[in-house]
Amino acid sequence: MARLELDSVTKRFGEGDGSVLAVDDVNVDIADGEFLVLVGPSGCGKSTTLRMVAGLESITDGEIRLDGDRMNEQGPAERDIAMVFQSYALYPHMTVRQNMRFGLEESTSLGDEEMDARVDETAELLDITELLDRKPGALSGGQRQRVALGRAIVREPKAFLMDEPLSNLDAKLRSQMRTELQQLQADLDTTTVYVTHDQTEAMTMGDRIAILDAGELQQVATPLEAYHRPANQFVAGFIGEPSMNFVDCAVEEATLVDGAFRYPLGDEVGGAVDAAADVTLGIRPEDLSVDGADGDAAGGDHAFDATVTVVEPMGDENVVHLSLADGPDLVATVNGLRRIESGTDVTVGIPENAIHVFDGDSGDALHNRSLDDAELDDARV
Amino acid sequence: MSAADRLQTTVAGLDRTRIALYAVLLAMVAFYLAPLESGFMTAFKTPDGFRTTTPFAPPPLGEFTVSAWGTAFERLSTGLLNSALMAVPATVLSALFGSLAAYGLTNLSWRGQLGVLVLFVAGVFIPYQAVLVPLTQFWSFVDLGGRIPLEIVSANEGLINLSITHVAYGIPICTVLFRSYYATIDDEMLEAARLDGASAATIYRRIILPLSIPIFAVTLIYQFTQIWNDLLFAIVLVSNPSNQVVTVALNQLQGSFVQQFNLQMAGAFVAALPTLVVYVLFGEQFAKGVAGDS
Amino acid sequence: MASSIFGALTRDTGESQSDDESPRREEPSVRTDGGTVADSAGDPSNATVGDDASALDRLRRSRFLESIPFWGPPALLVFFFVYGAIAWNFVISLTGWEGLGSPDYSSLSTEMYAQLLSDPSFAAAFRNTLVLLLAFTIFSLILGLLVAILVDQKIRIENTFRTIYLLPMSLSFVVTAIFWSWMYNPTNGLINEALRGIGLDAFTQAWLADPQFKLAAIIFALMWQFSGYCMVVYLAGLRAIPKSQYEAARIDGASTIKLYWRVIIPQLRASTMSAAVVLVVFALKAFDFLFVLFGVNPGQSADILSVMMYRVAFDRIQWAYGSAVAMVLFAMTLGVIGPYLYVQYRRGEL
Repeated sequence: MARLELDSVTKRFGEGDGSVLAVDDVNVDIADGEFLVLVGPSGCGKSTTLRMVAGLESITDGEIRLDGDRMNEQGPAERDIAMVFQSYALYPHMTVRQNMRFGLEESTSLGDEEMDARVDETAELLDITELLDRKPGALSGGQRQRVALGRAIVREPKAFLMDEPLSNLDAKLRSQMRTELQQLQADLDTTTVYVTHDQTEAMTMGDRIAILDAGELQQVATPLEAYHRPANQFVAGFIGEPSMNFVDCAVEEATLVDGAFRYPLGDEVGGAVDAAADVTLGIRPEDLSVDGADGDAAGGDHAFDATVTVVEPMGDENVVHLSLADGPDLVATVNGLRRIESGTDVTVGIPENAIHVFDGDSGDALHNRSLDDAELDDARV
Repeated sequence: MSAADRLQTTVAGLDRTRIALYAVLLAMVAFYLAPLESGFMTAFKTPDGFRTTTPFAPPPLGEFTVSAWGTAFERLSTGLLNSALMAVPATVLSALFGSLAAYGLTNLSWRGQLGVLVLFVAGVFIPYQAVLVPLTQFWSFVDLGGRIPLEIVSANEGLINLSITHVAYGIPICTVLFRSYYATIDDEMLEAARLDGASAATIYRRIILPLSIPIFAVTLIYQFTQIWNDLLFAIVLVSNPSNQVVTVALNQLQGSFVQQFNLQMAGAFVAALPTLVVYVLFGEQFAKGVAGDS
Repeated sequence: MASSIFGALTRDTGESQSDDESPRREEPSVRTDGGTVADSAGDPSNATVGDDASALDRLRRSRFLESIPFWGPPALLVFFFVYGAIAWNFVISLTGWEGLGSPDYSSLSTEMYAQLLSDPSFAAAFRNTLVLLLAFTIFSLILGLLVAILVDQKIRIENTFRTIYLLPMSLSFVVTAIFWSWMYNPTNGLINEALRGIGLDAFTQAWLADPQFKLAAIIFALMWQFSGYCMVVYLAGLRAIPKSQYEAARIDGASTIKLYWRVIIPQLRASTMSAAVVLVVFALKAFDFLFVLFGVNPGQSADILSVMMYRVAFDRIQWAYGSAVAMVLFAMTLGVIGPYLYVQYRRGEL
């Protein structure tokens, strides 16, 4: 069993006044065989966290446990963990085979034949058997990435750590490798912690995602849960592309007010925001209805006049930038086959069952959208 | 393009400035090679020959001789051997120490390593005069010949002392050369090795060392030249004439054949031959060592 | 040499290879501490702030301990042979030791230094050393720069030219002293022969015998040998300047001279400094060349401190006095290296 627990893990660089708190009290429990993605903007501490798990950074406070055993004092060599680096970090003077054997030679007492057998097996799994006698310098980026993976897999460790392994690949290769990695991980059933700044990777690959910002853990949840029930405004804005629309409003008697913009609230939502004075209204682009012609048209006081400013045709959808007559600018996505032109006057509907409301100070979610017909709560694994 | 077309393009491309440029460059070649060239010519001339000809002119027919070379070689042969015996181990050892020190100060992170490094760097610049007197005292105190009852030690004591001295004073520059190279080695690769279970020593042996071959070439070439060419340590530390290295021997040659320039020149070339050969073969590495980077 | 020596003190591990904007290590640029201890056998000796702080101490010590076998022995050698020896030299200079026998460490005084100050040959040597230092450095730099500029002009067989220009540096000073004593020979040396050849008989001199010209002749010969080094340094510096600057200056209408004088050369300041440091330090310890030419007595017009030191200590066997001269040399070297190190430190290149 390779359960990985991060218990109040903290990392402070330096001492005293000049010290930097890179990771602040992070708590995550990763089940055996789970694929957890650590995601967040650059500088958020995700790589530092990963390196602490690897043993490449010391842990200032808190505990990291693998299978219940405390790992804080163990060096990277003793942890039975394999890591794939962003730059692949292959040994340039060794062949692929030697690269893959290195870990086995240094941390196991296997015989030559057994080591070679494992290498061959892994090479076949990753489809790099023809490359075994080449040196990294003679390989393409994608091939090197596979070798880096192979080097980790061959050791049959308790956990894989991956530090943005796909970010050096071009877009096409990246999406191909994404799928392959997922499949691989499912086949090998090894606990994996995967760091990325790309929220698409996080959403598509992780069993669960852990979102970090400035060293603090924002939310740990399944991708869809993070998408539809973000714990705070940061998560809501980070997950999803194009990002959620935010409108800062004041609460006046169960109505959200921002200048001339008025959004009355029903009982349920009104009750959730009751205590707050300043809130932020959140609505995802795909939940906005434009012109009411798509069904779901929200009429009445949840419909607003607007003008289309910019249209970005993406093919599968159109990203429509809107400027409300008595309200903020919003971004909506509509069906790609619809024809919308810039300058058109439209009606924008903001359905109440799709809005999120966040506290104006803390950013915490006061209300998430309703998901009456969603199947979110089943675990993905 | 045919050869004629190419020639035409080349000639058309030569304008006044380029011609002037090459003229100056060739003049510089003459400037740098003149002493060597005239020395070389002189070495083949009989005494009459160099009295009657200009220095850079080749020996006239009848005044060509290799006797100077023969005598020079005869007189310097022991010196050449001694220099080799002294320089080769010293070069290898100082390079090795430099590599180890640079590894410990660069690829392994620990506090205070910059301070230690600065001490090494400062060691590159010391004037040897500042340590000569203590060195003589030191070596006479150590008295290898007296303490180690081996014939080979007492017979070559001076050379051994000199060799060890060169190792010690060569370490700073070797460390510096290796350091700038090791600083470019990918940290993540070394971290990967750690995760693979390698210790610091294993990392050095299996990763750093194999990757160090280019910089070893630079350091070995450069150090060999420096050690071979040294005079000051040699005359101060080696008193036994049978342990004389070639620079000292050459100096003596010059002193005893003051007017016989052909002999002196021949001697100079004979003594310089190893470093010249090394330079011609490995000039690239030498240049990199001189420039201090890799 | 010096610039890359000091450049070597910074760890430049190169640009991140990631092709998106986020830096590879997104944390602020602090040193990684290399992780945890290799074994948990150590006990926290000076931990005061609790369990995990002691783990920090342990890890720092462990990386440190791990590194000792590598840099320890070389450091020991350097420590004794360099720093220990200089300290010993200083102590000796405080005794009055001369002749046979051992130094008397019990009565120490600065008598030797007082003697130095009143010694006219010291004053001459000191003056000559400064002249040598300045003239040699400046001329070598200028010549090296000019040659480097020429070599940088996209010429063919550039490598051959460079190899030839650097050749003198590979030779021992003994060898070059012999060549130059021949070159400077009044009757049939190349210099005077060449002067006669172009009708400038009046300019022929006894270069190495005439006190007026001795030092200049030495400086010229040393410059011949060292300008190749300057060329190498400047060439590297020139190559670091992007070609677009030449083009921009030309478009702005600058003549070639102006271009170099106002745009290029100011950017070579770092190269100049580092080469100058090496040259000055060399000039201070230059011994081999003069010794071969003149023995221990170059005469008042060409005596320099390094030769004087040898003469005093090893020829006249006045050990303590020689040590004192050596300490002066050391102090002068320090006077050059110290500020340079400091400037580099302030610049952040340390």
